[in-house]
Parts: sequence; C-alpha cells; structure tokens
Amino acid sequence: MELISQYLSLATPENLWYLGLTVLGILVIAVPVLLGMAYTTWFERKILGWMHLRHGPMYVGPFGLLQPIADAVKLMFKEAFIPGSSNKVMFLVAPMMVFVPALLAWAVIPFGPNPLYGLGIGPENLVLSNVNLGVLFLLAITSVEVYGILLAGWASNSKYPFLGAVRSGAQMVSYEVSMGLIVLAVILLAGSMNLTDIVNAQKNIWFIIPAFPAFVMFLVSILAECNRHPFDLPEAEAELVAGYNTEYSAMGFALFFLGEYIAMITMSAFTAIMFLGGWLPPLDIAPLNWVPGIVWLLLKIILVLFFMVWARGTLPRYRYDQLMRLGWKVFLPLSLVWLVITATAVKLLGNFAS
Amino acid sequence: MNTQNAPRKTQNATWRTLRQFLLIDMIKGFALTFRMLFAKKFTIMYPFEATPISPRFRGEHALRRYPNGEERCIACKLCEAVCPAQAITIEAEPRADGSRRTTRYDIDMVKCIYCGLCEEACPVDAIVEGPNMEFSAENRKNLLYTKVILLGNGDKLEPTLAERLKRDAPYR
Amino acid sequence: MANIKSTTRTGKANTAKAAPAAPAPAASTPTQPALPPAPEGMVNVFVDGILLHVKRGATVMQACTQAAKEIPHFCYHERLSIAGNCRMCLVEIEGFPKPVASCHWPVAEGMRVRTDSQATINARKGTMELLLINHPLDCPICDQGGECALQDQSVAYGGDRSHYHEFKRAVDDKDIGSKIKTVMTRCIHCTRCIRFATEVAGVEEMGATGRGENMQVGTYVEQAIQSELSGNMIDLCPVGALTSKPYAYTARPWELVRTTSIDILDAIGTPITVDNRHGAVLRTQPQENNAINEEWMTDAARFSYDALNTNRLTSPMVRRGGELQPCSWPEAFTIAKTALQNPSAGILGSMAGAEDAFSFKRFMETVLPNAPFDCRPAGSQLEDFYTFNTPLIEFENVDAVLLVGTNPRLEAPLLNVRLRRAALKRRVPVAVLGAEIDLTYPHIHLGNEPELLETFSKNKFAETLKNAQKPAIIVAASVLTRPDGPAIMAQLEKIAKKVGVIKDGWNGLNVLASTAGRITALDMQARNKAPKSDTASILKAFNSGKLSTLIAYGEDTILADDLEGKGTLIYIGTHLTPLAEQADLILPAAAWSEKSALYANCEGRVQSANQAVQPPLNAKEDWKIFRALSEEMGTALPFNTQTQLRALIAAQHPAYAPENWNKITPRTNAITQSPNHSITNKPFQPVVTEYYLRLEYLRQSPTMHKCQLEAGTARLGLHPQAPGPLPKPKTPSRKAA
Repeated sequence: MELISQYLSLATPENLWYLGLTVLGILVIAVPVLLGMAYTTWFERKILGWMHLRHGPMYVGPFGLLQPIADAVKLMFKEAFIPGSSNKVMFLVAPMMVFVPALLAWAVIPFGPNPLYGLGIGPENLVLSNVNLGVLFLLAITSVEVYGILLAGWASNSKYPFLGAVRSGAQMVSYEVSMGLIVLAVILLAGSMNLTDIVNAQKNIWFIIPAFPAFVMFLVSILAECNRHPFDLPEAEAELVAGYNTEYSAMGFALFFLGEYIAMITMSAFTAIMFLGGWLPPLDIAPLNWVPGIVWLLLKIILVLFFMVWARGTLPRYRYDQLMRLGWKVFLPLSLVWLVITATAVKLLGNFAS
Repeated sequence: MNTQNAPRKTQNATWRTLRQFLLIDMIKGFALTFRMLFAKKFTIMYPFEATPISPRFRGEHALRRYPNGEERCIACKLCEAVCPAQAITIEAEPRADGSRRTTRYDIDMVKCIYCGLCEEACPVDAIVEGPNMEFSAENRKNLLYTKVILLGNGDKLEPTLAERLKRDAPYR
Repeated sequence: MANIKSTTRTGKANTAKAAPAAPAPAASTPTQPALPPAPEGMVNVFVDGILLHVKRGATVMQACTQAAKEIPHFCYHERLSIAGNCRMCLVEIEGFPKPVASCHWPVAEGMRVRTDSQATINARKGTMELLLINHPLDCPICDQGGECALQDQSVAYGGDRSHYHEFKRAVDDKDIGSKIKTVMTRCIHCTRCIRFATEVAGVEEMGATGRGENMQVGTYVEQAIQSELSGNMIDLCPVGALTSKPYAYTARPWELVRTTSIDILDAIGTPITVDNRHGAVLRTQPQENNAINEEWMTDAARFSYDALNTNRLTSPMVRRGGELQPCSWPEAFTIAKTALQNPSAGILGSMAGAEDAFSFKRFMETVLPNAPFDCRPAGSQLEDFYTFNTPLIEFENVDAVLLVGTNPRLEAPLLNVRLRRAALKRRVPVAVLGAEIDLTYPHIHLGNEPELLETFSKNKFAETLKNAQKPAIIVAASVLTRPDGPAIMAQLEKIAKKVGVIKDGWNGLNVLASTAGRITALDMQARNKAPKSDTASILKAFNSGKLSTLIAYGEDTILADDLEGKGTLIYIGTHLTPLAEQADLILPAAAWSEKSALYANCEGRVQSANQAVQPPLNAKEDWKIFRALSEEMGTALPFNTQTQLRALIAAQHPAYAPENWNKITPRTNAITQSPNHSITNKPFQPVVTEYYLRLEYLRQSPTMHKCQLEAGTARLGLHPQAPGPLPKPKTPSRKAA
C-alpha cells in the first residue's frame, strides 16, 4: 500500500507533464522509424533492382511507392502458422524480442540541437533520453536482439531455423567484440560516452578522417551485426531455406523483418553519429549550416543504408568459416592495434572533446 | 581473357599485399554495381510491352489447314508416338470419302512440355506450336484441347503460322 | 592380293585334285585349299568365311539363314513357291560376275557367299532405290507403317536419296471386297498374294496384268475375292498394298497391346494374337505353329472381332412386364435362385472353354443334382469319340482321304489347306461322300447317300484306301446329329477296320467337330449321362412344361423358334442373340477375348487362350458367375480363383494340366454307342452353307454379314450345281447391321 501511495505521490503535475512529453517523444520517434523501416525495404528493392538492371517495385502506386503498404497488408492477412512441435510461448515471444530492442535503441539516439530551443520550446537537444552512457546502452540493447533470434530458432523445433539461430548467435557475438573495441577508440577520441557529446566532439573534424581504418572495420562489422549481406548466413536461403525465420509467417515474420530493418537504421544512425558527425553539416559555412541538423543526420543515415544495400548488390555471401576468420583473426587484432594507437595518440596529443 | 586468368605470381608481392589491404578489388566491384545503378534497364514491362518472338517459339498448339480448307492432319500418329510426355491422344477412322482423318485429336496442355517434337515429327506441317503463350486457364478442363479448339487456333493464326514456317524454312 | 594367294597355293590345290573325293572348285573361283568332304547329301559352303554344311539343293538364302545372316527379301516366302522377282536378296558369290538372287540360287560345293561385301551392299542399295522409284512413300497414311518390310529394309539397307526425279506412276485401287483394302500404287510386284491365292487358297483370282511399268496386280475382273483364307494376303503383303479393311486407320502397331490367344471359331485351334488398344480389340493375327496352322488364319477368325464390340450384353437383365430391363447382379441372382427351385435343366453352347464347361458341370451337379444338362447340339449322339486320331501334321503323309458328310473347306479351312497340298503336290486321292462341294482341288464324289456306306467295300475307293499306307477318313460331327448317326459311325468303324484305316500303329478315323469349344466341353464331360438328358430331350421336356427352368449357357444352336415352353429361360452369354431376346433372365458373361481359358482342338491338343481385355461393364467371367450363383443357392463350388479352378480341372483331366499344354494327348477312340437305327437313305446335307455366318458369334459381326453378302451369289465352297442352301438360320439379331 505504501508503495502504491508512494508511486501515486509521484503523479505531480510536473511528472505527468514529463510523462506526457516522453510518450509524445516516443511516438514522434517510433512512428517515423517504423515508416522509415517500411520505406527502407522499398529503397533496398529499388536500389537492388537498378543495380540488377531491373526496375524494382513499379506497380503499386507511383514508382511502387505503396509497395511497403501492400506488403504490410499482405503479411497482416496471412495465416499465422504455428508449427505443432514448437514451443508455442517462446515461438510467439521470439519475434517481439527482436523487434522491441531494435526500437528501444532509439531512446538514446540524438537528432541534433533543437531549432526551437531559442524560442523556449523543448529541450536543448532532440533526444529522448540524453544519458551519459548512451554508447553503452546502444551496444547493450542491440545485443539483446540475438536472444530473440536464438529463441526463434530453438522454439521452432526444426533443423534449419536452429542452425540459422546458432550461426546468428555466434556471428553477432563475434563481431560485437571488434565493434566494441572500435567504439572504445571513438570514445577515447571523443572523451565521452554521451552520444551528443560524441557528435559535438566532431565539430572540427569528423572522426571518419582521423579514424578511417576504424570506420571501414566498423562498416563491415555493422553488416555482420545486422545479419546483412555478405554476412547473412543465418538466413542463407541456399543452405538453410530461410534460416531462423523459416517457420514464421504473417506477423511473426513481419516482426523479424521489422526488427532487422530497424536494426539497420539504428546501426546507420550509430555510424553517422560515431564517424560522420551526426547532425553536423560537412562544412560549417553559409548555405550548409542553414539546413537543420536533423536533415543532415537523415542524409547520413540514408548514405550508410545505401552502402548496406550496395554491399548486398555487390558482394557474394561469405562462407561461415571465412566469416569467423575475418571476425576473430583480422578484425579483432586490427581493432586492438587501432585501440592502442588511438590511446597512445590521445595520451600524447589529447582528445577532440570540445 | 588470358591476362585475367594469368597466375598472380607474375605480380609483385608488395603490390599484391597492398592491393589486398586497400581492398582494390572490392572497390572495383562496388564501382561496377554503382555504374549499373544508372545503366539502361533491361526489364520489359510485359503485359504492356512484348518481346519479339522467334519464328521457332513453341507456344500454344494449332492444327493447320490447306488453303482450300481441308485439314492437314492425316492421323499418322507420329506426333502421338514421339510425344515424350504422352500428351497427345489420337483416334482415327476412314472419313466418308475414304481419306484418313482423325476423329479425335486431344492435347493435354498440362502434360505437354512444349518441346516441339510433335511439330518436328509432323510430315504435313499440320500440328504446329504457335506464337501464343497467353492461354492460361482457371481449371484443368479448359487446358484439355480438342481437335475443334486446335483447328480453331489454326484458323485464327494461319497467316502468322505460315509466315513463321516460311521464315524458319531455310534453316530446316 | 587374291592373285598372289592363288598362285602360292596352286601346288596344294593340285595335290588335292588328285584325291578321289576332291570337290570340283566352283566356276572361275581362285583355287582354294582342299576341303574335307561334306557329309552325305551336304555340300561345303562358306558364308562370310564361315564354313557350313548345307543340304544339297538348298538355296543360297537358306545357307545364309543357317549361318544366322539376315538376307533382306520381299518376294521370297518359305511357304510359297520361289519367284525371285524382287531382287532384294542379291548377294555376292566369289567368282560370279554379278550378284545373284540368293532366294533361288542353289548352293554348290565350295561356294563362297559374301553377305557383307561392298558389292552386296551396293546391290541392295540399288535394288531398294529401284523399288522406291514407284513407291508413293505415303507411309504417314499407310496402315502398314510401323510394321512394313519395305520401311524397315529401306532404313536398314537403302540409301537416303534417289536419282529419279520424274513423276511416279499411279495405279487405280481395286475393290476386292470388304475384307481387304487395296492401295495398288504401293505395290512392289512381289507377287506373294498371287502365289498365295493360287498355291494355298486355291482360288486363282489374283494375277498380274500388263508388263513393266504397266504391270498391275489385282483380280482380273473387279470382284470380291472368294476365299476363306484371303486375309492371309494382308500378312503376306510386305508393303501396304493389301491391308485389312475393318482395321483401316484405326491404330498403329506401336499402340497395340498384344496378347496370345486361340481361335475358337473352328476345331483347328489356330494360335493367334489379339491386339487391343484402350481395352478394345482392334485386330487378330495368326501366330506361327507348323503343327497346327502353319502360319495361316481363317477369314472368319481374322475379321469377326468386331462382334466383340457389337450387341453385347453388359448388365444382368430381367423380364418385367414383357420387357427386358437391366438389373443388378444380386437381384438377378435372387430371381435365378427362385427359378432354379423348380425342375431345371441346362444346355451348353459351342464356345465354352474348359473353365466354363467345368464350372457349369460342377454347378449343375452340385447345386441341381439330377437335373439334366448337355453340352451337345440337339440330336448329337457323340459320346466318347469326338476327336481326330490323325494329328494335323500327319496330313503331310496321308495318302488317301475319304470325307464323309463334311466340307473341310468351310468347317476347317486350315485342314483343307493341308488336304489341298496333299491332293495337288502328292496326288493323294480324296473322295467325298456327301453333298457336292467345291474343295479347290480335284476329288472324287462318291455320292450323297449314306446307304453307300453299306456297300462301300464294293466301291473302287475302298480299294484305294486299302492300298494306301496312311489312309484317313474324316467325318463331320454333325453327321452324328442324324437319327442314324450312331449307325453310320458303327458302319464307318467297320469299314475302317476292313480297309486298313484302323490298323497297327495307325488310326485314320477322325471326327471333325464344329468348334474347339464343343471338344473342350465333351472333354469336361459337361453332360448328364442319365437317359433322357440330352439336348433334344431337354428341349422337349421344357416345351411340354415338364421342366420349368432352362439354363441356356452360351447356347448358339437352338433357334428361338424351337422354344415354346412357358417356363423360365435363363440365358448366360455374351450377345443379345435371338435366343437371348426370348430369355426371362440374362446373365452377361465374358467373350473369348475377355477371359483366360483352355481349349482343346480337334487333335485333343490343349492350348491356353489369354485374357486380352476386360469384360464390358457389368459382365463377368463365366466361372465367377457359376461360383457366385452356387453360393447364393447354398452350396458354394470349391474354387475361389482361376488357379484353384485350373488345379481342379488338371486333377480330373490330365490333358489340361499345364505340363500337357500344346501337346497332343490321345483321347479314347472307342465308339461305344450302340446303333438304334439302321442307316437311312436320307441324303447328307451340307454342314455349312454360309461360311461367314456359320456360328451365332459370327452372325453378331457386321463385317461377316458384309462378307456373306458379297459371297452370296458366288456360294463359297459349295458346288455350283449343288441344291440351294438350307433355309436360313433365324435372321440375325435385330441390332446387327
């Protein structure tokens, strides 16, 4: 009872206002992200099509723009099939465990300074929760996705999903290691784990320039982290039918799909913030700095997404042992070396913290 | 061709390492796909556009007639015999004028594999595979073609069929 | 090279010449080393370098056949005379200036034949090109396509182009009846048909007119060929000039499923093949068996298969309110059961196989004990002796023949072929006692009065028989339907013993039954041996009302008018015959092509006929009907499968055991019945007047009616001055053409 009254006592007007604002903020972020995810699929199909000398989606709406909606409607009306021998509760929970963390990661992504801040509206920075350990949170929450995938493979009680899930687990864990080390190097450069601070540290020069090798490794790592080509072994259709989501249909499948593409966007945003100067314009000169920071951020996200699609259109799939070799025998030593170099340089020359 | 397949040994070891380290091949690949992004697309917007069809295209079957209206088929059953899918069924008997004609000429278009052997086997160019490929149906019954349907196809397409045979004749 | 060899070997050859048995070297061949002399009556011949001993006087082609070398040919046929006019069998013989036609060239000592030399190959290619000059190459519309000697040999031995670019000749097609279709443009003038008609069939109606390119084969005057064997010309024709008219355009040989069977329409038991496609019999063809049919087949058997698809009974039928209406099998069985509670009897027709006759017999014995039943036609007094004592192949050695009341040309045409050969080739005297007939070969007509038998020993022909080594008497089974039949048989036996037709090691007294089924049914003893149980008595009792139910099982000799009784007539059979139309209950059975059955022929040779197609719709195999009906009646017959049934038959009748099939098993030849009449002076009647319609089964065939119509004025097999045919049997069924 006490606890309840304690909680109720929190319902002060300020707190309620704060709660309302937060819910509003969540909606303002989540809805565009979901929409963006839908159009990422359209974007991917279009770009891939062009690279294949095809047209991509053409029929549903102008330039096939309504295709994602048609797909969504189709997936919603399909039969949600649950295999008889599966663990039904886990089978249903797994897709959510992929989808929810992917969306949660957006809590800490900063979108830049609030253009209306000068008018006294809203906070200084457009970020849902400006935590100091943003980077850590991001790494942690994106790693949770692997549980959903493992669970999906296990709950399906079917060999292909299981193999896909095991591959996925090993792959994500492997690349998180080198990715973590690279992020550490960036943190050293920025002197902060707050994402906003990291962006602000790039005011003078984007980290892509001093840390270019790290950037390349980071790009490759996020491909592996998102189970994207050429590292899409967990769903390698030639070997595993459809990998961990073989047994899924309708909305279960749609949630995996959503999770995967949101993770892509998240990772793109993460890359943009870490290396591409987030919302900062390329040069702080007249016409460029008139553009609102969020537009720059969006452009940079799209750029990274384009790279991901581009890689899919260009590279063939790695073999599993090649993937592991690359992760452990190439990226891990290289990123360690890079960390040492960065640490030495920072110790000697100081970091970029503003 | 040969330069591409030449062993890597001929290249300088340093250059080879550098090349690997700098991801030159990968960048080349990316550049290629990027160029393709803006290349002219090959896709043909099928129901609205059509590709040109070879005179040898093997589509829907037709039974032809002579210019005087007499059906060509003489019930020799060679097409039936050669058909690898056994899709053709022929029954024959003497017609009132004593000539050899079919009383039944069925092609099961579902069994048919469109190999064109019937066309090859026919001594009188009666059974041909025409240019039409849009004959899908909503039930299998409609894909069991009878003599009437096949002769109808022939009557409908005769100028095209004759033209196609003429164009292909020099190569036979 | 050859010259060098010959010179080096000259010395050896000279020494060989000195030997007394040295063979004369073949003309102008290089001298060869001496060969050891061939056995007596043989000569040494080399075929492609292989040394063979070949009978002296044999042809080169026979030598090649002996060496297993195939020689292509069209006009040559081993059962016909040698014509040598197709030139396809040309082979090179070393030392001969030109290739020779191997079919008529006799072998000589030391001859070296080359069947694979370039000269031979060129000769064949040239001949084939010449043959194809006027051949229309209309294979796609030709019924011979796929089984054509010209097609096969042109692929195997011919070239792929012709030097001839002029117009081909065209020949008018001849209308030679409804059995054979002619396309005379395809004819390659091998003259096989002409030789067959003249030599085997004995109708000199086919011939060639004109010379060279104007040569045409045909009947001189356009008319239907009057022969009971004309269908064999279709088989003989190596091209598509003569093809089967009823079969025209219906099928290709590669579509047909072939089953071996037996022709049961006469007593010879010709082995045949039945070709069916999609469950319909489309043609029948003879198999080769030297001991039975050589390789011929009668027209009735060849062309009557359309009866199998005409006017068939396809469902049990019961008479309700005066109309026959289809009903179900259980219904039919219930009705049959009720009817069979009353005094009943059974009659078996002439087409039954061993299984059918046996199950009928067991049914009558077990289910209706003491009921009279018979398998003989009305009046027939055949008892234990009903087969041939002379095997058919022995007719190649028979040296005097007396035919009593029979016309083998119409009753057993293939027996007549053998008699004809004997009469013409070996001048065997043939005498006929009975109606005047046309046998196609010279014979002595002794008269038409049975009384002649009583004074036979005074006859000149008795002397002929006595002087013969292997004399034979053939008497028609139908003679025994006369009241004085047993007396005639007894008298014949007496004569036979007296003139040496029956003597040690030889028995030439033969009964010629009308069909194989009659013999088989008698083998099965499908009759009640109690007095007053024969067909005539049964009919009398039924007509007078003493019997209230009559099972007519496949019965085809009783005329519908013979039945006057008010009782129930149960008809078990295949066709809606006039008799079936009178029935109160019809149970549809399987025809000969629709069941596997055993049949004995006139020699007592048991052969197996295999099932080619399924019985139509609801019709069932005969033994199944009896088995089911017996169960309905409360006493199930002791067999459930055909295997069990055959085992039962084999146990009781050893001739029908599988190990005795295709062998002649002797039957008893004792004539047991005692004559109760003396021989009367009633003249013999012709046994068969209408060859094509002699059985009810044949009367169901539209083709047979057409053939009979064509034969109508020509009166096939009858003497031109013979008295007119008997009143026609009951008009054919309503539905037949």
